[in-house]
Amino acid sequence: MQIGAVGKAGGEQATGFPVRAGDRSVIFFFLLPAFALFFIFLAFPIIKSVYYSFFDWAGFGPAVDVVWLDNFKRILTDQVFIKAVVNCLILIVLALLVQLPFSLALAMLVGRSLRGRAVFRTIFFMPYVLSEVITAAIWLILLNPMPARGFINAVITLIPGADPVLWLADPSLVMISIFVVLTWKYFGLHLLLYMAGLQSIPKEIEEAAVIDGANKRQLFFGIILPLLSSTIRTSVWLSVLGSLQQFALIWIMTRGGPVNSSEVMSTYMYRYSFVRFDLGYGSAVAIILLLISLTFSVAYLRLFPQRDHLSGL
Amino acid sequence: MSRKIYMFLSLLAILAFALTACGPAATEAPAAEEPAAEEPAAEEPVAEEPAAEPVTITWWHIQTEEHQVALWEGLAAEYMAAHPNVTIEITALENEAFKTKLTTVMQSNDPPDIFQSWGGGVMNEYAEAGLLKDITADLAAGGWGDTFAPGALGLYAYNGVNYGVPRDAGIVGFWYNTELFAQAGISAPPATWDELVADIELLKDAGITPIAVGAGDKWPGAFWWEYLAVRIGGKAAFDAAYSRSGAFTDAPFVQAGEMLQELVAMDAFQPGFLAATWGDEAIAMANSNAAMDLMGQWAPGAFRENSADGVGLDGKLGWFPFPAIPGGAGGAVDALGGGNGFVVGINAEPEAIDFLKFISSVDSQTAQAEIGMSVPVVAGAEVGLTDAMLLQVQQGLSAAEYFQLYYDQYLPPAVGSVVNDAVAGLFAGTLTPEEAAQQIDDAYAAELQ
Amino acid sequence: MQYFLLTLLALLLLIPIVILIFAALKTRGAALASPHALPIPLYWGNITKILGMDTFWAMMRNSLFVMVAATVAVVTVCALAAFVFARMKFRGNNLAFNILTIGLMFPINVAILPVFLVLRDMELTDSLWGVILVQTAFAMSGNIMILRGFFQSIPSELQDAAYIDGCNTFGFFWRVLLPLARPALGAVAALTMVASWNDVLVPLVVLNSDKLWTLPLGTMQFQGQYSGSDIALTAAFVGLSAIPAVLFYLIAERQIVSGLTAGAIKG
Repeated sequence: MQIGAVGKAGGEQATGFPVRAGDRSVIFFFLLPAFALFFIFLAFPIIKSVYYSFFDWAGFGPAVDVVWLDNFKRILTDQVFIKAVVNCLILIVLALLVQLPFSLALAMLVGRSLRGRAVFRTIFFMPYVLSEVITAAIWLILLNPMPARGFINAVITLIPGADPVLWLADPSLVMISIFVVLTWKYFGLHLLLYMAGLQSIPKEIEEAAVIDGANKRQLFFGIILPLLSSTIRTSVWLSVLGSLQQFALIWIMTRGGPVNSSEVMSTYMYRYSFVRFDLGYGSAVAIILLLISLTFSVAYLRLFPQRDHLSGL
Repeated sequence: MSRKIYMFLSLLAILAFALTACGPAATEAPAAEEPAAEEPAAEEPVAEEPAAEPVTITWWHIQTEEHQVALWEGLAAEYMAAHPNVTIEITALENEAFKTKLTTVMQSNDPPDIFQSWGGGVMNEYAEAGLLKDITADLAAGGWGDTFAPGALGLYAYNGVNYGVPRDAGIVGFWYNTELFAQAGISAPPATWDELVADIELLKDAGITPIAVGAGDKWPGAFWWEYLAVRIGGKAAFDAAYSRSGAFTDAPFVQAGEMLQELVAMDAFQPGFLAATWGDEAIAMANSNAAMDLMGQWAPGAFRENSADGVGLDGKLGWFPFPAIPGGAGGAVDALGGGNGFVVGINAEPEAIDFLKFISSVDSQTAQAEIGMSVPVVAGAEVGLTDAMLLQVQQGLSAAEYFQLYYDQYLPPAVGSVVNDAVAGLFAGTLTPEEAAQQIDDAYAAELQ
Repeated sequence: MQYFLLTLLALLLLIPIVILIFAALKTRGAALASPHALPIPLYWGNITKILGMDTFWAMMRNSLFVMVAATVAVVTVCALAAFVFARMKFRGNNLAFNILTIGLMFPINVAILPVFLVLRDMELTDSLWGVILVQTAFAMSGNIMILRGFFQSIPSELQDAAYIDGCNTFGFFWRVLLPLARPALGAVAALTMVASWNDVLVPLVVLNSDKLWTLPLGTMQFQGQYSGSDIALTAAFVGLSAIPAVLFYLIAERQIVSGLTAGAIKG
């Protein structure tokens, strides 16, 4: 996902004020631009994609060869697609187990009153500001297998007897390497969220707990973590959606290779639509990706409903 | 409720209309647009006087090196000066970006007037979808078609109809570093496969990486398998598989995979070749980090661009053809290759074809050859070809009894990309030669259905 | 200890960026021959060459124009919609909101072809407005969520007071809510700016003539198969084109942080 979207999704009941006289037109005209853009650039493309997904169509000329659900059947039985789903899951699991705890730990470390915290925050967020194209370009140089070119291997080969590591060429390493790059780029956003969340915990609560004799562990698990729960909820949600949709970085760095070892759903979709000229099939992949994201979101928001509308992000 | 929905929808319609209505004003010279919106020039006979209707030609090419861009821009400016009614809009895109963008406009039936093409299967799909203009008559008129080398021109024809013209053509061969060969004690380039294998051992003994390959980009790796198939199976094997009297699972294609994997097993390629791109391959060659690579006619230019001193391997670069494989059905002069060309989009005005004529003239071709950008395909332009090795490439091309266009271009795109993917699997060792051949054959069979 | 860890980490994180800057300050030969060495002597040729390129400045202008317009559009569209979702009670409120959030599930790379078809029918291809509209549409979902959360956190007593003072709903929105929401609007604006500035797929597909190109397209060109080899010049281009985004972020950082923080405080 490109934008750093933060916020809550899907409140459970209508909120705000009862509609007053004349407000109907406010509702109408305030929602009009958003819905106009939505219908033109989102709803219409989604409907088009659903339509194409029923065809065997290279993308040129009119689509005539209806195959109904054949594309979906082929996708769901394709080993490479399954590999792509597994790789997405790997990214999600790594993000949840490594990237987010790391961001939270860092947010705790920076704390709320450290001198120079703004400087650290700025540095840590910097990679998020760089584009995916630039990020990929820099890391391709860093990860180059030749010590003469790649900085990381240059450092590694300083150790006597150490061989250069084939970060992107080794099928068993490539997902880890990609995860490292993704973490470098995106952890700053989560850090920022957690720092904001921590900031909003009233100091008095923490102080009271300390006076009551809570140790650091109790303070963290008993006070801080529960109060951060809605920030964490948002952060997890964003992270999972981001992992499901990850595209540009992986495409530029590995094109899903070597031999599909870093294929994710988006690269798989792109390969079929733009390299293999099988747009019907590619559209079906797009629909599956959309359904997975939707299912996840609905399930997630059901499982972890926002308890209080006004707390947390 | 339904009344509200109706009102909402009608407002949407109004909004959409308003956006459309203000579109042209906001658009600076809409490029590849539909004929209806185009200037009415097409209907009227084109007058030669300056008062001729203004025409816009959109031209997409993939030359992004500075001096190449300058050459094209110069030609466009010259043409526009001579034809004041013509505006040429150039879009110069890097290869991958070009493919993405072209696919989008093609899938929306909106091709540029003149654009880069490699001929073969991809072009055929465009032609079948009615996206390309038939220029057969233009080529016949005034003998324009006769200026091109017939083989090269044929790459841009499908079912007897010409859709474009070649810009350059060449064959794939071995580029090697003569200094590194000398260091390893190799006196003459290998003429047979066994000699190549022996030389690889010599290079390894001397601590030199024998071969650079950009297997991550897939097509540089695919050259290996394709050339092996050309040597082992010859024209007969490919024709049989292509016409379905045989198959890509036939012995020569499997054997090609086996021999390729033997090379991989003996560590002939640079570390990390699986993720390497063609750019990495060129950097390794240009800076003497590898002794040879298997690549087309554009390699020397890339070596120069990729070297620390800007000179590249000039003075220590050599070229030899793909070694003979004794017992193979293919002759030693048979060649795998291809080239670049320009095809004409369906909406192109007559001026576009005239401009295409202009940029494929002898003068233009000579200028391209002089800067090492093209191995010319127009008779008379060879004089521009000062580079000794490019001359070798050109001679290799004209000597070939069987010229095979790269598989990924020749075969339909869906099959071509499977070839590339399958060979990448061979390099990685995740596919056996049989499995790779089977995947390619399955893809081809599916495509023919 | 705290400082030591943080500083170490910050340095590690900065390595990639530092290497980029070093590369930009070397000659092409030095960048290829010794990519990790310090740029000694400093070489400014790449920077001056890029800064002397008319095309660089044209791309800079286009990028700025797209970014400003997209940001204004996103902030406007999202603030209007979020206000309705946050403060107006009507049937279908949540449904409408949830529909808009679908945008988060459908990334632009999945939808690029149909989107292109729409633009072409509207004659907005090869136009910066086409880029702006698409960027706005795909940035809406997340930003409406941010603003809705923030608007909800503004005490309802304020709204009562405003009505008692004779404000109508629009007046409350315009005169009370928006000024209060400045941090959140700032956060939305800053995040949109960064996303728009870095977007490459939409401009690539929409824009043809290089007069209209934005900086990321230029970056792609520089990295291209043949020209990508001048690592030093590429690094200079990449570095220079990233500077504005970094600057916007630095300027807007306070806004982003307080926007996110404020949204997190109980109303």
